[in-house]
Amino acid sequence: MHASAVLKEQLMAPWVDWAQKFSNGRRLLETGTYALTEGAIAAGCRFFGGYPITPATEIAEHMSKRLPMVGGFYVQAEDELAGMHMCAGGSLGGLKAMTATSGPGYTLMHDAYGWAITNEIPLVVVDAMRVGPISGITGAPGQGEFYVSRYCTHGGNFETIVLSPNSVQEMFWLVIDAFNLSERFRTVVTILTDQVVADMQEDLFIPSNYEELSEIVVPRRYNLNLPFYPGGSDAIDFPPNVVGLGTGVCVSAYTHTEEGYDIEEMEAQWEQTQRLVNKIRHHSDQILRYEAVGLEDAEVIAVAYGAPSRTVKTGVLQARQRGIKAGFLRLISLWPFPNELFDRDTHYLVCELNYDGQLVREVQRAAPDKSKVHFMGKSAELHTVAEVRAALAGVSAERKIPELPYIWTEVR
Amino acid sequence: MNNLVEKYLRLNQVPTKACHGCGIGMIENWLLQAIDEVGFKRQDVIFGTGIGCVGRQTFATWGGDNFGATHGRALAVATGLKLAQPDKKYLIVVGDGDAAAIGTSHLIHAARRNLGVTVICEDNMGYESTGGQFSPTTPADYVTNSSPYGMVEPSFDPCEVVKAAGATFVAETTAVQWNQTIKIVKKALQNDGFSFVHVRFPCNENFGAYALGTRDTMKNLEWIWEHTKGKKANGEESDFKWETGIKHDASNSRPEFSRLLRDLIGRAQRKDEGRAEAAR
Repeated sequence: MHASAVLKEQLMAPWVDWAQKFSNGRRLLETGTYALTEGAIAAGCRFFGGYPITPATEIAEHMSKRLPMVGGFYVQAEDELAGMHMCAGGSLGGLKAMTATSGPGYTLMHDAYGWAITNEIPLVVVDAMRVGPISGITGAPGQGEFYVSRYCTHGGNFETIVLSPNSVQEMFWLVIDAFNLSERFRTVVTILTDQVVADMQEDLFIPSNYEELSEIVVPRRYNLNLPFYPGGSDAIDFPPNVVGLGTGVCVSAYTHTEEGYDIEEMEAQWEQTQRLVNKIRHHSDQILRYEAVGLEDAEVIAVAYGAPSRTVKTGVLQARQRGIKAGFLRLISLWPFPNELFDRDTHYLVCELNYDGQLVREVQRAAPDKSKVHFMGKSAELHTVAEVRAALAGVSAERKIPELPYIWTEVR
Repeated sequence: MNNLVEKYLRLNQVPTKACHGCGIGMIENWLLQAIDEVGFKRQDVIFGTGIGCVGRQTFATWGGDNFGATHGRALAVATGLKLAQPDKKYLIVVGDGDAAAIGTSHLIHAARRNLGVTVICEDNMGYESTGGQFSPTTPADYVTNSSPYGMVEPSFDPCEVVKAAGATFVAETTAVQWNQTIKIVKKALQNDGFSFVHVRFPCNENFGAYALGTRDTMKNLEWIWEHTKGKKANGEESDFKWETGIKHDASNSRPEFSRLLRDLIGRAQRKDEGRAEAAR
């Protein structure tokens, strides 16, 4: 008898329904970057500004070919600072916009992140993570930007939305979802992916007619009246502002009034922060996306996101077959952090592609018992199925991960 | 209040918080005069600024749509906007920090692309809103709060840089040349391409006080006037001379950037249709 036969598997994401609804299309063997660009085009993206960087370069290349075909604009910027600011300009002018980069370029975007978030400009930013710091290992997967994507600019007083896919097919649907969230929340949505998911080739279904997706795609709307910035309000589905239609909107780097005028008053900072934080915090239930297996009875739940979740899930299923009560939790929405998924007082095994331990710290914070949160950090290569199995067996039997080469377990 | 201020600006945003004797408001008045003489309306022009004295004192004064970018990035934002809203005129008013230091690469590449914007670089020859440090346009040897022994670096001429990069209209003027400045800005606005106008103006509070030794507006304006002539009032030669006037005028001689990309869309779509036709 296979224990997995009775396992409860759950995928909580809007594309569960979307994949049912749209079945007329083509099946391709394609890369994650290809799926990403097609999803963006399907979502109505008509502007890309970016700078080539491994492993996000193919996104720029695909966009340079596809955007002109659909009446859109590809701009190869002088650097990532310019690339994301151009996207912000394009979005302010009424075009859905996206940029894509990897770690070193992501670092340069923090300037534009602050401007876009504060001015509530819808944008999608893709970070295909590799091993760092700095240029690190350019062609290997890493997950070093878990916190950087949350704290993607200086100054505090904001919340962010970050999503992470783990397959080529999911990339296609998730980017549409990311554009929808960016429109509804009037903010930057970050897609945190990695070198493996970006570069690998897999089976990909693409609907044949993107116009049929209009029932799931949130269209760009224009806010033509005051308030341009509804200070204090947590409302979502507030139409984005537009520059160029003569509304008199003001967009700036300063703390602003509802008209967009610069103001240096404590009360104005309070109003603006209530807006930027609460529109996301108060609607976190609408952002929650995850995949789970066997959480109900698991004695140890392996937690991962992105590429490592692939081998981690296989490791969990194999451990189940060997009689270990293991569970699997894959985070798709990373920020706002899904605290509610960690309410069971059990053991958690956090697998991520960095040695310093990032996701594990949030799990330690959210879980009922911090001493039951174990860390399995690796860098530049995915965890092997055997390593995951060994760690699950170790935590299950002895409450600790056995010593394994190139696996970092200490968190301080 | 003059008629142009009522016609084009937001009366609740002017006069600005600029220091006494600052040239920024005066230059903005001249910009309005040029805009009016060319015949643009409020809704025709998008007004973009940067950070520093010039950004802070001009942002949100314009009666139409306004943006104030992060430091140095006004031209990057304008690049995206121009593609999305190609029929608008873009007046990008920035300082010497924005144009000649932190944002120079965007300036160069906007010029190279022949992006359809008019950049007014209002240059007070230093970082004055942070208290008077030298910038790349501070004249060599002058004393500022970060060059107490005199500025040791050679200064930088942004007009030469944008001209070399491919700008189609380049001019230099100053806050003591009212008539010339209006004529230049009118020409700049009529170029469907990248126009750059460098306007030096005095800062009394910092550059004037530390580099020139006076907070007297008239004396600081006179110092600028002398350097446009190369001669002091007493007939002696000044330490250097600025050549002002139109430096380069190739207005409307090559395609504007958003036009190039729109033409590209046409080519890509025809090619795509051709391919679909062949497949049938």
